[in-house]
Amino acid sequence: MRMPLFTVIALGVAAVVYLAGKLFAIDYLFFAGYTVLHFVVLATAWNILGGYCGYVNFGSAGFFALGAYTTVFFHKAYPLPIPALIVLAGIVAGLVGLGTGYLTLRLRGVYFAIATLALAIVLQTLVINWNYVGGSRGAYVIRPQTAPIIGSYIEYLFLLMLLLTVLAVVVARAIERSQLGFGFATIRDDEIAAEALGVPTLRLKLIATTISGGLMGMAGAPFPYYIGYLEPSSAFGLAYAVNAIAMPMIGGTTSWIGPLVGAILLGTLQQVASVTISSAVNLLIVGILLVAFVIIAPNGLVGLVQEFLRAATPERMTWRSLGVLSVAGYGIVAGMFGVVFSLSAIAAARPALGVLALVVSVLLIASAYGLLKLQSWGLLLANASFALSIVLGVIELWFVGGVGAGIMHGGAVAIAVAAIVLLQDAGVKSLYRVPPGERRATS
Amino acid sequence: MTALLQVQGLSKRFGGFIALDEIDLSVEKGERLGLIGPNGSGKSTLVNCICGTLHNEAGSVHFDGRQIDGMVAHERTHLGLARSFQLPRPFPTLSLVDNVRIPLLYTVQARSGLLRPAGDLDDRCRDLLKMVGLDAKATRFPRDLTQVEMRKLELARAVAAEPKLLIADEAMAGLSHSEIEDILALLVRLNEQGITVILIEHIMRAVMSFSQRIVVLVSGRKIADDTPDAVVNNPEVVGAYLGQ
Repeated sequence: MRMPLFTVIALGVAAVVYLAGKLFAIDYLFFAGYTVLHFVVLATAWNILGGYCGYVNFGSAGFFALGAYTTVFFHKAYPLPIPALIVLAGIVAGLVGLGTGYLTLRLRGVYFAIATLALAIVLQTLVINWNYVGGSRGAYVIRPQTAPIIGSYIEYLFLLMLLLTVLAVVVARAIERSQLGFGFATIRDDEIAAEALGVPTLRLKLIATTISGGLMGMAGAPFPYYIGYLEPSSAFGLAYAVNAIAMPMIGGTTSWIGPLVGAILLGTLQQVASVTISSAVNLLIVGILLVAFVIIAPNGLVGLVQEFLRAATPERMTWRSLGVLSVAGYGIVAGMFGVVFSLSAIAAARPALGVLALVVSVLLIASAYGLLKLQSWGLLLANASFALSIVLGVIELWFVGGVGAGIMHGGAVAIAVAAIVLLQDAGVKSLYRVPPGERRATS
Repeated sequence: MTALLQVQGLSKRFGGFIALDEIDLSVEKGERLGLIGPNGSGKSTLVNCICGTLHNEAGSVHFDGRQIDGMVAHERTHLGLARSFQLPRPFPTLSLVDNVRIPLLYTVQARSGLLRPAGDLDDRCRDLLKMVGLDAKATRFPRDLTQVEMRKLELARAVAAEPKLLIADEAMAGLSHSEIEDILALLVRLNEQGITVILIEHIMRAVMSFSQRIVVLVSGRKIADDTPDAVVNNPEVVGAYLGQ
């Protein structure tokens, strides 16, 4: 797909997202959506250096905070509209990225990661001791009640972040398909071989640190307006550094779609957990998922899907493989959200139902993994766990009132029925009859 | 006529170990040079110093009339030096076509300043893979290749850079008799097209039939630089190889 077309489609998707938000007309949706989106930008930015070039940056929070504090500085010194601040923050963080790159890129692997971590700490110390931007007390940035044209200010911030997300994703995809992307891949794979074949590795790495740092700074620029009160410990928070790494790792680091999927999934999961359980569990969720993925699916969700497609459909995609893919995708998403919901149910008044839901959710995730890995137990487990989820859905429908819950559980039952029907198809079954080892040998 | 490659007094040490000791070497344009020596004699170190993977402490390297020591590796590649690695270093996450595409994008295109359409590049990549007999696996990844195929990929990638001087560092180790013939024929063909070739090899039959001149390194010193026949009859060389 050509880049202009991709950009148009991305903008179209963004417009649909925005209009869908307008349809609900709940400010909180925009508030939560903003958080998810700024993680998408952060994860995509991290991936340009971490995923494409293979240089793990632990200092994402530093670049993010740099953007946020650029806003704080100009808010006091010379008030500017937020789009201008985003550009300025991008320039400042990009320059710091360039400088960091120049100083640290002769380091490899873990030493580079430590250096970036140190950079974040140095920046935090600077900010804490810089009174003009609030020092350790923090700074208040009172946002206006309304924004021109759009009305609600949070909606305005959401829209800005949505556009920034489109920008980040388009940039990431453009890099991936370009000469630059090939160069980045050679740096990730083997720098010495890359140099020998004429790739100017140092220059490419500097480009990567600059773009990556700049985008991170841009993600941070509207943050003070969003949060209202910015203190160093929140801007330099652990959550940013950890999420920026975990989201691409869980989604998959080799393509632009990985960080997007990972950030939407993890970001939304954390928002739901914040509401239903407590925001304190957010980092726990990220930590558990990160460990699980590093062990079970080191190439992330995108990697799992690619492996599945390679093994199941060597020539071209069939509706069957697409169907199994949708079932597995649904299993993973429903399972992850199911775990959060069931934990909150256990903590609330309905422990028995919660435990049942927890079991079903975990089974759904496991069966989705089995389906993607083309394991024969995956098919059995998928049938069993979807059957169980029908039972659970009916019980929930019986006990739980309300239109929203009714739609949710009714929908879950309908999808489970459809999934079981699909999995009975002879063609789908045949995918799971041959042991995967033999299939690979014959292909 | 000035030499294409002129190495003068080149020395390289790793800590207290002298890997290369005042090496002088000159290679004429269009020449086929064999470089031999026992394991650990400094052949690959010499290649690394010429190509910029390592930097020499003393001496100078001139290539095509320009002093190149001090330049980083990719600048030397842009000038027209290309090498294959003794242990193949493919890019594991790129397909074979894309492995070959890298030097086309970053060296050939950078040198000419012309951007080629993607279709042309694809064709050129496939031609290069065909040259070494890997066209059937063009969309596969290096992990699907055997060691022998990896050596061929290594060679295709080096040739893709359209070099003036090609240094083939043990491109034939582990290859069968007929495969060695294939690679030798390929190198001779490249040489006839005007590419100067330095062949580093342990397989004496291949070196003897290919080289117009052979240089022998032992313990970081050059002990012989002569025609193939003269070199194999050189008592010092025989001594070094047989341990006399």
